[in-house]
This record gives sequence, structure tokens and C-alpha cells, in this order.
Amino acid sequence: MNQWLDDRLHISRLNDKFLRKAFPVHHSFFLGEITLFSLIVLILTGILLALSYEPSNSLVVNSFDPGTKANPNLVPAAYHSALKINAMPFGDMLRRIHHWMANIMVAAAVIHMMRIYFTGAFKKPREINWWIGMLLLIFASLTAVTGYILPYDNYAYNTVKVIYAITKSVPWIGDWAAQAAFAGRFPGDGIIPRIYGYHIMLLPGILLALTGAHMLIMIKQKHTQPQYAKRLAYKKIVGVPLMTQQTPIMLLLVLLFTGLVVLFSAFIPVHSVEYYGPPSTQAISSIKPDWYLLWVFGALAIIPGFEWEVLGGVISAEFVGAMIFPGIIMAAMFAVPMLDRSKENMYYAENPTNHPVRLAAGVAFLVMMIVLSVAGYKIELIQGGLLTTANANAILWILTIGLPIVSYFAVLGIVRMIRALREADERDALAHAHADD
Amino acid sequence: MTRYKKQDPEITRRKFINAALGAGAAVGTVSLVTTLGAAKPAFRLTPDKAPPQPGDILVHADASKEGQPIKMSELSEQGVSAWPMGKDKDGNNVIRKAEPNNQLAVFRFEKDRFKAPEEGGHAHVVLELDGITDQGVVVYSSICTHAGCPVPNDPNDATKLFCGCHSGQYDLLQGCKVIGGPPPRSMPQVPVEMKGDQLVLKDTFVTAPFGFLNEADWETYLEQVKEILG
Ligand code: HEM
Ligand code: FES
Repeated sequence: MNQWLDDRLHISRLNDKFLRKAFPVHHSFFLGEITLFSLIVLILTGILLALSYEPSNSLVVNSFDPGTKANPNLVPAAYHSALKINAMPFGDMLRRIHHWMANIMVAAAVIHMMRIYFTGAFKKPREINWWIGMLLLIFASLTAVTGYILPYDNYAYNTVKVIYAITKSVPWIGDWAAQAAFAGRFPGDGIIPRIYGYHIMLLPGILLALTGAHMLIMIKQKHTQPQYAKRLAYKKIVGVPLMTQQTPIMLLLVLLFTGLVVLFSAFIPVHSVEYYGPPSTQAISSIKPDWYLLWVFGALAIIPGFEWEVLGGVISAEFVGAMIFPGIIMAAMFAVPMLDRSKENMYYAENPTNHPVRLAAGVAFLVMMIVLSVAGYKIELIQGGLLTTANANAILWILTIGLPIVSYFAVLGIVRMIRALREADERDALAHAHADD
Repeated sequence: MTRYKKQDPEITRRKFINAALGAGAAVGTVSLVTTLGAAKPAFRLTPDKAPPQPGDILVHADASKEGQPIKMSELSEQGVSAWPMGKDKDGNNVIRKAEPNNQLAVFRFEKDRFKAPEEGGHAHVVLELDGITDQGVVVYSSICTHAGCPVPNDPNDATKLFCGCHSGQYDLLQGCKVIGGPPPRSMPQVPVEMKGDQLVLKDTFVTAPFGFLNEADWETYLEQVKEILG
């Protein structure tokens, strides 16, 4: 059988080239894999959902609560189909797994990225994969946001309204762009089919293409090697081959991981469409994006309202908060590999404490993201009495800028201290070694 | 030695291929961009999407009572959610709810508590006192000018609105002037009067509602509406 295939397809060359790829053995190298597995599970559960989901915002009679002949209870078909999916055997479970997996995919990608950053794995020659990874992060968030809109309950409806407004706030072209992106003035008749197209065709296509490129480049360039590899065999690739040693590890990981997600999907419900009901005029007391977009939301919450007219366009707080500011953050993240100007190729993952400035800058950045995310809870902070309307913005701004600075210097200080102590220890050890002579 | 003497071509093969590729790419891109243009559907205005018009009647927007005219006895400081209801060409009633930004809120305070908006804050605020009925009924847009969330009363102070989305605050007694949070403009008022036992609009939004960039954008839209609906 192998021979038969090999004669025709030259499988053995594939084997040599890809299946023997060495995988370093270190737990932090599984984060990227978890991201990949989540994508696969998302695609599988997504396909199953798509079999029963009805991508339309036309109104249909709600078969669960039809109302009366004279006054039928009309709901958007998409919302109705979400109700039907929930009522299907295992349907609610499917939605939960899809939803939780989406969160986990973004989380795993973020932590994976931290590993890359703190160990310096983004350095030459791996800059391209850092950039592709950034694109993956951005498109994964877009995919998740469009997915949120699909059930078209009142929450989704209000979310897409906000996203429409943000698109429209782009100066000069915003009005056109928003109508083009969301199929007409909000809420266009074709809004759900449009979002559906994005969510199940366009964006997964982009994600798959980017993931493919990410993997191929990674195989071509090899992983950075953990420090132990340096001691084992300097400048040699150390690790276990994909086929067959790494494969069972991966299979175990994917089974364990999916099992865990299915387990807690069974107990922790996701966003309940029944609770929010179909789109209506009812205000939602506290609307929040998913955790990975909370920082944008927080920035929007603490930027005071303003509008400037520039050459016929309007620059609004909305635009600055939801486009310019995240744009700057993204640009800074894209620029990370440019900070390193060494011409040398990088082989070994670095110990973060040997690069205190990078470590401190990374921690400061994360702290800022966290503070901004907390600012997303401004209303709750005010209602809970921790802040007042008058001082909330000022305090949150001070924290947004102050805490990262403080943590920057704190990390620098701590790392320097640890290193000084370590060096002193080494000197001590050396001195004693001499004394022993 | 070949029999045919090779003539120097006027352009090299490389140049020709590059030019052909370039032209092909340009034509391809332009045609792709034009098809992308089709992503934006044409704008069709139907009476149920038109902004509030003078003469429209205020009806309930809450699902349980939707379409019933709002009565004075139902009004208090707590906003009542409303749609404007007008007539189409054939004189049938149309609730203008296909445009979500038409959602209005009706409040009632003692008339002498209203005051001209104080100076300060951003954007101009308009409060038309004769657009408030003698009984003190005032109508504002219900849609936050910031990102379009429907805004309820402030739970701590009924004379204010508090937006749950990004904590925008408005003062109901001062023309819904912004008194906190990110909203860029005041909530536009819609002048009303009492006719019989119905609340009837005297005008559309007095300033630009949510969904429009500024006053000019809104004025242009109103003109477009007038043109289409006649
Ligand atoms: C690749 C990354 C993906 C992410 C991050 C993602 C995320 C999401 C999220 C957050 C939802 C909302 C779930 C809910 O609240 O019910 C959703 C819904 C949905 N997704 Fe995905 N998804 C992805 C891929 C896919 C794919 C590949 C398909 C189809 C082939 C798909 C089909 C659907 C459908 C049909 C729904 C609506 C189901 C419903 O909510 O009732 N998704 N997605
Ligand atoms: S939508 Fe009301 S404050 Fe942002």
C-alpha cells in the first residue's frame, strides 16, 4: 500500500520534507498548536451550525410563540433559526462549543504571541511569521465579531449598530464604506446574508490561507530552539519528529483539549439568545464586546466627545477611539520585529530576564491593555460607587498612562535586582571555588 | 548562421510582457473594484423609513402596545418609547419603524422646569419651548448620538438620561444637552403639540440625530427625503 502510493505520489519525499520536522519539546510550544486545533474545531462545528442556520433577517412567524392570526409574532429568520438550533438535540451544545472555542482560539493566540515576544522568537529570520500572526489575530477577532452578529438577537443587533456607526465615522468615505460593508443603510435588508458571507466564507478563507502560510514558513525556518538544545547540541536542530513521535503528543493534546472544552460547554452556557430576545427597541443596560476587544471599548469610554471638521470630513471621538487608537496599537505591535536590528539569525529562545527592557516594555503594554479593559467597565465602576461621573475619566486616564510606566520601572528594577543577586552568588561561588584549591 | 537576419525588435520581449501584464492587472483591478461597488445597494426610501414628519402621530413602540396612540395619562418623567406614525401615498397608516433611528421617547415634566440650555459643552443644543405642550410633554430621539444605543432614564435622577453603552449623559430639562460621557451632540428634540387626545409632531428632529455626521449631512438627507417622498 505504501509502496503503491509512493510509486505514484512520491510520498516519501513529503515524508522527508515535512513529516520529519523536528518539534522542540517545551510546553510553551503547544500554545500555537492549541490555536490551530481551535480553528479546526471551529470550522467543523461551524459547518454543522451552517447546516441548520438560516442567514436572513426577513421576518418570519416565531413558531415557538406564534402570537395570534391578527397579530403574529414576527422575528428575524436568523434569530428564529438560532432558537431552532437551541431546540435541536445537541444543538445548544454545538453553539456552545463553537462559541467557547472562538474565545479560546483568540486567548491561545494571544498567549502564544506573548511567548514569541518574551523569548524574542520574532527576531530575524522570523519577522514574516510575526506579521502573519498579527494578521491572524486581527482576522480571528473579526471572524468572532461577525459570528456574534449571526444569531441576530437584540444584543447582536445593538452590537452591529455600534460597528456600523464606527465604520461610518471614518472621515470622507465612512458613509459609503458602511453602506457597502453592511448592505445598505443600517439595518439593511441584506445585512445578515452579508455578515454570513463574511463569517463563513471570506474570513475563514483568509484565516486558512494565513494559517497555511504561517505553518509553511514555520516548517521552512524551524522553531526557535529552547535553551536546553544549546547545551545538547549547539546549532543543531533538536526535537522530536512530527511523524511519529510528535503526532501522538498532538493527538493527545487535541483530544484532551477538545474534551475539556466540550466538558465545560456542557455546564457553562453561552450567550443566551432567548434572554435577549429578537431585535427590539428595548435598551440593553450594559452592552460589552468580548474580552479581547474590551480595551477598544474602554478607550471609547474615556475619550470625551468631540468633532472636528477637516477638509469637509468629520474627525470624531468615535473614529479616534475605535480606529486611530487601535490602529496605533496594532502598528506598534506590527513594528516589534523592527526594534531588533541584529543581522544575525536567531536560533535559541532567549531567557526573558536577559532582556529586561523588552520584558518591561511587554509587561507595561499588557498592563495598559488591562487598565483600558477595566475602563470598559466605567459604568459599573460609577454605579458601584468606586468612581464618580466627574472624576472617572481623569482617574482612568491617569491609570492608563501611569500604571504602565510604574510597571515598566518596577519590572526593570526587579529584574536588575535578581540579576545582581545572581551574579553576586556566582562571584561568591567562584571565590569559594578558588579558596578550595 | 541563420538565413533570417534577426531584426532588433522595437521593444524587448521583457518590456512587452511587463507592459502586457501591467495592463492586464490594471484592467482586472478596475473591473474588480467596480463589482465591489455593487456591494453597496441602491438607497430606497419607503415611508416606513422616512424620518419623523410634521403631522405624524406618536404611537407606542413597546411590543405589547405597538401602534396604539400614546395617551397623556400614560406619560411621566420616565420615558415612554414611541414611533412616529404617518401615512403613505394611499393614506394608510405607516409606523416609521423600519428606520431604527426614528425611535423616540416621550417625557412629561412641569413645563416651568424646562430651561434654555446653558452655554458650554460641545455642539449647539436646541430646545424649542413651543415644541413642548402646555402639559409639559417633550419628545426627544431615543437613540444615543454616540453609537446609537437606546437610552433610558438615569436610574438615580429621572431628569437625566444615562446611556448604558458608554455612560453618555443628557439633561432632559435642557434640550437633552450632553452633560457627561462621549456623545458628540445633544439628543435632538422633536417638537410636538396636543391635537384632540393625540400627540402630533410639528416638525422633524430639530438637530441631526444619530446616524448623521453633522448638521450639513442631516440637511442633505432631509432634502433627499423631500425629493423622494414629494
Ligand atoms: C474561524 C474562526 C471562527 C470564529 C472565531 C467563529 C466565531 C463565532 C461566534 C463567536 C459565533 C456566535 C455564536 C453564538 O453566540 O451562537 C459564531 C456563530 C456562527 N458561526 Fe462561527 N466562527 C468561526 C468559524 C466559522 C466557520 C468556518 C463557519 C462555517 C463554515 C461558522 C459558522 C457559524 C454559524 C452558522 C454561526 C451562527 C450560529 C448561531 O449562533 O446560531 N463559523 N461563530
Ligand atoms: S452609545 Fe451612548 S454613550 Fe456610547
